[in-house]
Amino acid sequence: MNNTPRVLNRILIGILGIMLLAIGVLLVLLASVPAVGVWWHEWAGGVLNFWLDLFERTQFPRRQGSWLWLVICFVLVVVLGLMVAWIAQQGRGRTSLLVAEEDPGDVPGNVGIGGGVAEQTIRAALADRPDLAGVTVVAYEIKGEPALKIRVEPRQGVAPHALAAEVSSLVEALDAVIGKRTPVLIHIGSGTRSRFGRAERVR
Amino acid sequence: MSQDTQNPGIGSVPYDADAVRGSAPLGSGAAGMDRILKRETHTSRAVVSVMAAALVMAVCGYALLETAVRAIGQPPWLVDPQTAAERVVALPAGIGPLLLVAIGAVTAMAGLFFFLNAVLPGRRARHLLPDRRAAVVVDDEVIAAALARRARLAANVTQGQVMVVVSRNRVMVSVRPTSGVPLSPDAVLEAVRHELQEMGPWPMPEVRIQVATAGVVGA
Repeated sequence: MNNTPRVLNRILIGILGIMLLAIGVLLVLLASVPAVGVWWHEWAGGVLNFWLDLFERTQFPRRQGSWLWLVICFVLVVVLGLMVAWIAQQGRGRTSLLVAEEDPGDVPGNVGIGGGVAEQTIRAALADRPDLAGVTVVAYEIKGEPALKIRVEPRQGVAPHALAAEVSSLVEALDAVIGKRTPVLIHIGSGTRSRFGRAERVR
Repeated sequence: MSQDTQNPGIGSVPYDADAVRGSAPLGSGAAGMDRILKRETHTSRAVVSVMAAALVMAVCGYALLETAVRAIGQPPWLVDPQTAAERVVALPAGIGPLLLVAIGAVTAMAGLFFFLNAVLPGRRARHLLPDRRAAVVVDDEVIAAALARRARLAANVTQGQVMVVVSRNRVMVSVRPTSGVPLSPDAVLEAVRHELQEMGPWPMPEVRIQVATAGVVGA
């Protein structure tokens, strides 16, 4: 529900995967097929010579050394910065305001209702239920509009549709209090579960 | 050996996603709700992304160190970039073939892991439930627990004798009856199907029951 850039993630992971796969296959082929070794010497030697030639032609005017090293340093720093930016993009999109509207009345100013209101009310309403192990309420911003995500963790064996109907009636009561229908997602989940299996098994 | 009863009836009902979502008049952000549901039922690959970024950062960080050392004319830390490039060109000489194969295989496996993560649909083990106000997403584990409870009550056995596995299109109920006590698979199946129909998850899975021939003694 957050604003993780999913398409970007897929593209970048895919590019990295293809590159690693190609390098790995090349290494295995180099070790096992002699013909690949011959081709590799020829091709990679040519590339290396091109770069050595480039370093020769990019010497500093007066002293020893090539300024191309500094350029490579700069490029690497840029790549590092981009990777940090990519990590920072993951899981963003939380907001603190549930409603932010201009007050149409006589008094100038805006009305803001924090996401904490929804969280506190729903948590309080569900607090003394024995069939729930935990409740989390978070407000996210979806395309500039606030939306609520209610994560409920029932104990084993609780019927999810009955639970969903009850939480949903709480949300309707919340609508009446706040005076605005915000999009709501109810996630009925289980606690620590294995990430890798598709089929979930329960005794 | 186990007895297997199939019931394709429940799964073959065409259950449309839009029917579930359309029946719920959502609030002002209804247009974004489909997108939210799509995002909730598919993995975001955030963890894999962070792993990939960390890997690239480690490689680039080391390369930056050696390049910077070279740029200011200091002796290299581990290996000079030019020497490293020459060694790479000289491959497969200078390294044992087994080691090279091992490194290549590990790299290829890592690449395959990232590539498959990017290409596969990445569905989460979740189903959608119809609701008139909110969008509801349920983990399959929760559905399995609820169905297991229902099956246990219908079969009149203890908790350890029922196992339910819920996947996207199938619910597999395995019951081990108590030795000497007759168990009707049809009754259990009917109870589970009724519970599932009441729940109405999307996509609607097909229910199968498996009753073990060997019973549990003294349960």
